[in-house]
Amino acid sequence: MPARLQMKAESWRKRILPAITCAIAVSSLAIFPGCRVNRPVNDHEKNQILYTAMASDPRTFNPILITDSTSGALTGDLFESLTRLNPVTTLPEAGLAEKWDIAPDSKAITFHLRHGVKWFDGRPVNARDVLFTLDVIYDPKVPNSIRPAITIDHQRIIAEAPDDYTVVMRLPKPFAPLLYSIGIPVMPAHILEPVWKAGNFNHTWGIDTPPDKLVGNGPYHMTHYAQSQLVRYDRNNDYWMKDEHGGQLPRLHGQTVTIVQDQNAEYLRYLSGQIDVYGPRTEEVSPLLDKVKNKELGITVQQIGIDTGSLFFTFNRNPRHYVKNGVTNPKLDWFTDLKFLQAMAHMMDKKSMIDLVFHQLAVPAVANISPENKIFHNPNLKDYDYDPKLAADMLEAAGYHLAKPGVRTDPKGNRLEFDLTTNTGTPERNEMCTIFKQDVESLGIKVNYRPLEFTTLVDKLDSSFDWDCVLIGFTGGIEPNDGANFYRSSGNLHLWNPNQPKPAAPWEAEIDTLLDQGASEMDPNRRAPYYWRIQQILHDQLPILETVRQQRYSSWKNSLENYQPKVWGLYKPEWMQFKAD
Amino acid sequence: MNVDGAMQANLQGAAVAARQTSGIAREWRLASRTVRFSAICLALFYLLAAASPFFASYDPTYQNREMPDCPPMSIHLNAPSDWSRGLFYTHPMHMNDPIARTFVADASRRLDIHLFTRGHLFTTDSEREPYFMLGSDGLGRDLYSRIVYGSRVSMCVGLIGVLITFSLGITIGALSGYIGGTVDFLIMRWSEIEMSLPSFYFLLALAAVIPSGMSTVATFFMIVAIMSFISWAGFARIIRGMASSVRSRPYVEAARALGASRWRIITRHIIPSVLGYAIVAATLSIPGFILGESALSLLGLGIQEPAASWGNLLAQAQDVQNLARYPWILIPGIFIFLAVMSFNFLGDHLRDRLDPATSA
Repeated sequence: MPARLQMKAESWRKRILPAITCAIAVSSLAIFPGCRVNRPVNDHEKNQILYTAMASDPRTFNPILITDSTSGALTGDLFESLTRLNPVTTLPEAGLAEKWDIAPDSKAITFHLRHGVKWFDGRPVNARDVLFTLDVIYDPKVPNSIRPAITIDHQRIIAEAPDDYTVVMRLPKPFAPLLYSIGIPVMPAHILEPVWKAGNFNHTWGIDTPPDKLVGNGPYHMTHYAQSQLVRYDRNNDYWMKDEHGGQLPRLHGQTVTIVQDQNAEYLRYLSGQIDVYGPRTEEVSPLLDKVKNKELGITVQQIGIDTGSLFFTFNRNPRHYVKNGVTNPKLDWFTDLKFLQAMAHMMDKKSMIDLVFHQLAVPAVANISPENKIFHNPNLKDYDYDPKLAADMLEAAGYHLAKPGVRTDPKGNRLEFDLTTNTGTPERNEMCTIFKQDVESLGIKVNYRPLEFTTLVDKLDSSFDWDCVLIGFTGGIEPNDGANFYRSSGNLHLWNPNQPKPAAPWEAEIDTLLDQGASEMDPNRRAPYYWRIQQILHDQLPILETVRQQRYSSWKNSLENYQPKVWGLYKPEWMQFKAD
Repeated sequence: MNVDGAMQANLQGAAVAARQTSGIAREWRLASRTVRFSAICLALFYLLAAASPFFASYDPTYQNREMPDCPPMSIHLNAPSDWSRGLFYTHPMHMNDPIARTFVADASRRLDIHLFTRGHLFTTDSEREPYFMLGSDGLGRDLYSRIVYGSRVSMCVGLIGVLITFSLGITIGALSGYIGGTVDFLIMRWSEIEMSLPSFYFLLALAAVIPSGMSTVATFFMIVAIMSFISWAGFARIIRGMASSVRSRPYVEAARALGASRWRIITRHIIPSVLGYAIVAATLSIPGFILGESALSLLGLGIQEPAASWGNLLAQAQDVQNLARYPWILIPGIFIFLAVMSFNFLGDHLRDRLDPATSA
């Protein structure tokens, strides 16, 4: 009898338990779609549609009026430009313009347009469209952020079209950055010229425009936009680009960009297979690498390079802040004293910053221009080693003596003390400041550290100038002249002493001259020495103390072929495709 | 008889003395187990705050840069023959994977933990080879020492805030309620203006004008003081209501008829009658200040690194990834939880004892 009972109980367990487990599993799948680890059916591959995510809604679909990066990314595939950037060589390469010739005096560039490129409505793309686009950009009634980039010495470029497929641009003086900045989206004159003449250009192609009315010439056209949800694209079957076997590009049949406001949510969507590519944050790299090691998810994680920007400490050397009523604050003397700055540079514990703050996913930064900028980065600079002993000796030799333990004074007997700040909301910068503060305080220099809310900080940096030392980051582009506002002594982003009527130091004057020379030399390899010298000066004179650059990672599904992300953008995006099963 | 009388007087005196000295003991007997536990918790926390340098094992800002996010270390009892070296020992840990930050204990080596050495309750020979009882944070600082020092801020912020708010609130409320008329009208309209100040923007404005040379702790207490100065209004309105109902009670009327001065009536009759409520409300509002401190840290107004408070220690646990991999960074939350619950239980108990009318 007990044996029978036991049998019964066992069979009950055998039958019911799996049933319950299945029920729980199924219901949890239904309730928590984000928690599914393996998608049972994935139609991305079958339909050749790439799913990606974007953090916010676009503000406009009019490429000329765009000021935010989301709108730029969402319309980028719709419109082709004269030149495009090769993210591997960092050089401009052919786009709508098949090739271009530079006149011997470098004051005219002739663009030869590609034949057979069509707008989505079938009309050919020709020189008239290019001239129209320039006219719109130079129209003072059309507010846009492109105009300053192609305005040279307050003058516009004079463009003319000798025939339908040739555009000649005349510049007031040789201006090398133009080859990068001329990569502007070309607009269809036959559709937008009447609108522009009627004065309605600023209200055209807003986000309420039906997507099929957006007439472009790029690899994809937009088919659907649902606010805060998604944007869909289909491929342009008439796109001009062909692969080496004459096959039609792009190879993907379409793309869907879902709008996911929160990056944690985007990460979960990537884990659940709802999106196909993902740019992980530092702390997400290690868990993703674990998944690759355990062969979960079928994904690839790859380092694509390092940060293109620059994250640095800088000391205020602005006399407008430190000289009040004829009295000079001693801080100005310290912050313009090269010996003091060198000691500070030797107190920069980059190794600890990399280990503690960035989990080793960063490299020391030496030059102001990132090594990712292959042509303009100066590789010959020697970093200041972290050496507290040497720093202390340097301060002693320069007259900054230890008055008593923990208190260091300048030659006039003032106690060394400064304020340190950065913006709130970035834990990494907070930790870097804490490390720097501890090291500097070990020299007997008091550091008052208080992070500030970002707008308050910007206000201090650009109008009240009420700061001593700040940790701040700048994004970097390929064209070094884009940073002119930062390098030039008269620039408003020349943080340590902005808007100078004339350069305060001889080395600042030298940088100003180098910038002018660098911009007027057309050949990138002949331009590089000017910008190398600028980096050398910044490294020697230490108006900025470089810290570290984060490594950038990208992750994508193994089924996605020819996906080649670089820090400057996707390489050969038209070749992307899903592996056929 | 004489002897007997003297003895009786003696006995009486002793009884009075016994009744007086046994006040705390009697309260202790009356309190429930929860309340006793709360009282012990709070006493312990204030002891930690008062004697932080003794209880902490290390300097709370010392960064052990080789040991970020180290897990809590094990503790072992030495064999009695080795007690001369130290009662306890631990195995030193070192990082074996700097990217994932995993640690292994070196079982072949023993690190002695010394009790009552160099002015610390327990510590090791050197900061470079530390014993992390509760693990370390992302910069390799001892979490336990930071919690001990953090108690100074977290346990004091409530007291200071409550002290300012309630002394202002009681005085102004009682005056307003007792005097009435134009004074009452003016004070109440003024309190309404204060209550309608948007405190968030007020704080942002404060952050921009505070002189930069002040230490973060001084800055923070200044902000708490200023916030208390503007938050007395709500409390004063309740006290004012109670005071204006008390002023028409017979004993107050009697005092007035006997010619007592206004000041005497307010201090002897009005304020004592609202004090019971005030003490209860004060105890119950301390947790709000403790929690508010952590919110302020997020705005960049609270205690800033490298100084520690329970709020900014817990702020590191905001990141889900960090929390999943280094769960011990949640420990400061346990301390906040205990402190907040203890104040609440104690407040409830005080209400039962002092202000039975309002308790359910």
